[in-house]
Amino acid sequence: MTTPAATILIVEDDAEISRLVADFMRREGFEVVCASDGAAMNAALQKLRPDIIILDLMLPGEDGLSICRRLRADDSIPILMLTAKSDEIDRVVGLEMGADDYLAKPFGPRELLARVRAILRRAGGAPARPVVRRFAFDRFVVDMDTRGVELVDADASTLQLTSAEFDLLGCFVQRPRRVLSRDQILDWTRGRSAEPFDRTVDMLISRLRKKLDAASPGSNLITTVRNGGYLFTASVKQVS
Amino acid sequence: MMLRLTLATRLALIILVGFSTVVIVIVAIFYLTSVREGELVHPSPGRLDALASLIEQASPASRGLLLNAVASPQFVVRIEPGSGAIPATEPRQATMREAYAAGLGGRAVEIGLPPDRRTNRWFPRLARLMANATEFRIGLRTGETLVVDAYTRLPVTPLGLPVGFGAGLFGTIVALLALLVMQRETRPLAQLAAAVDRVGLSTDPPVLVEARRSAPEIRAVIAAFNRLQGRLNEMLRARMTLIGGIAHDVRTFATRLRLRVEHIPDAAEQHRAVVDIDDMIRLLDDALLSARAGAGGLSQEMIEFAALVQAEVRDRRAHGDIVDVMTEEGAGGAIVLGDRLALRRIIANVIDNAIKYGHAAHVRMGLRQQSVVVSIDDEGRGIPVEARQAMLEPFNRLETSRNRATGGAGLGLAVVRALVEAHGGTIDITAAPGGGARVNIVLPTFKSG
Repeated sequence: MTTPAATILIVEDDAEISRLVADFMRREGFEVVCASDGAAMNAALQKLRPDIIILDLMLPGEDGLSICRRLRADDSIPILMLTAKSDEIDRVVGLEMGADDYLAKPFGPRELLARVRAILRRAGGAPARPVVRRFAFDRFVVDMDTRGVELVDADASTLQLTSAEFDLLGCFVQRPRRVLSRDQILDWTRGRSAEPFDRTVDMLISRLRKKLDAASPGSNLITTVRNGGYLFTASVKQVS
Repeated sequence: MMLRLTLATRLALIILVGFSTVVIVIVAIFYLTSVREGELVHPSPGRLDALASLIEQASPASRGLLLNAVASPQFVVRIEPGSGAIPATEPRQATMREAYAAGLGGRAVEIGLPPDRRTNRWFPRLARLMANATEFRIGLRTGETLVVDAYTRLPVTPLGLPVGFGAGLFGTIVALLALLVMQRETRPLAQLAAAVDRVGLSTDPPVLVEARRSAPEIRAVIAAFNRLQGRLNEMLRARMTLIGGIAHDVRTFATRLRLRVEHIPDAAEQHRAVVDIDDMIRLLDDALLSARAGAGGLSQEMIEFAALVQAEVRDRRAHGDIVDVMTEEGAGGAIVLGDRLALRRIIANVIDNAIKYGHAAHVRMGLRQQSVVVSIDDEGRGIPVEARQAMLEPFNRLETSRNRATGGAGLGLAVVRALVEAHGGTIDITAAPGGGARVNIVLPTFKSG
């Protein structure tokens, strides 16, 4: 056992699940504290600093995702997300929100134990997992942190995009080869840019399309799907 | 034919026919009341006789005055010297000539066409016909020839237009206006029909803009449609919320159960309990997935289909099942636009069925035109032809007993069918060459651009 005295904070609204998991984990030699919702978790965090938080996605009051985002904003306690939904989208969203791993209900105790140990091992080794924020596709490399788009083969030239266009491209490269509805694009890009977006999604897409096509003729990266929305067809690789 | 006319055209036609009838009646009344028999077409023989007699008796000086007095644009009169040059009447006017000859007291008379004095430049023949002209050449007793050109034109109104023209014009204009107005009035109805067609539970329902200037009835229909739309939406949302809620709660119970299973001392029983819980959750997931498919809740992703199928096959092989896969030329790179989870469930369900009821699954993947075709054969006893369609309906299995030993609740293939159809594909059951059952799944491939 790598960390015999590790402390686990379980945030789960179902008392039975909480108790069963806690019992099991205690038998495995962990210190366990339980909280039934976000407020109880906050109170517990005042008193102790757990080594890992096991967080349920569906909680009364503040839900798991927003707690996860909040915790990630000012702390680096590893988070294992529990979810009652099996969709992969949830997984992606969970990891994007900063969860270290994810486990779908119902889960077996050994599975949970294995995940918890894996996360603790990782957390003990590297200080934080390196977040890759550079994406390569076609002839482009998008850097989400510097908010720049480079052309690979050309002599270090860059693609000039407006802020709103970059947000849109960022939205696409992080969700490639998936049909995005206008509403989804709006949800994921709004808040970052000050521009009123609404119906202008179509316009913005046609501008972005033109710029990408001018830089890489014939690439045809954004496809309009009948009564669905938009599809970024390039395969995107994360690069460092 | 009548069925294909739009409402607007029908109304315009009704108005047009109405006006045409009115015009015909007016013209008929005009002719019946104001035209004495024969007079309209030709001058009567008596009139010509009187004219000829007058000219014969008049002094040469007063002849000019006399001619001026009787002449009119419809009745051109002149006197030509001599009598020799009277052309013979055409045979078809012979009877008419005889009638005139009798009325003219023995004077020679011939009937012909007047010279083209006022020939229309564009339609000479038509103008001649319309003028309805007749030339009478009457040999006077004084030796000269009296030439009378009688033109019978259509009677005109005080504005100089033919009788009925105004009414006809007015009618046409009204009919055109009616057509335009009706087109505008009925457009909301056409839009409504189009919107109703677009209603599918799988798309965002179209909400019609209320046409404020339309007739109250049309507005009422649109409002009713929008209310119906809202109710449908609410129902759908309520259903999804209900299913979601049930799924969540069942999972909570299943999680507790799964954790408690650890306390079962018998390892074999413990394993069976775990498998039961997994089966239950899979069934729940499938039901939830097909409900989502019906409500358009599936995502669309570019899926490399062959890789997805191969992953499912690999999983089962690692588990010790007899599964093999054959990918035809070209099918390897096929891309299907669909929900990854749903596509996986489609393949997994059919393969699991084949293993469960037919001991083995032989998967074959090919490309036909714009579709990827997957056929999965088993080595069981096959499915009778008459039972094949029923297999694809919910809660139908070959054995009518719902017995755990032979399978689940019978949702499997129905779920697969719902998911396949949500992806625009088809599924059917045939016989495998070896005697087992073959399930064919056809899914459209995605072409970008």
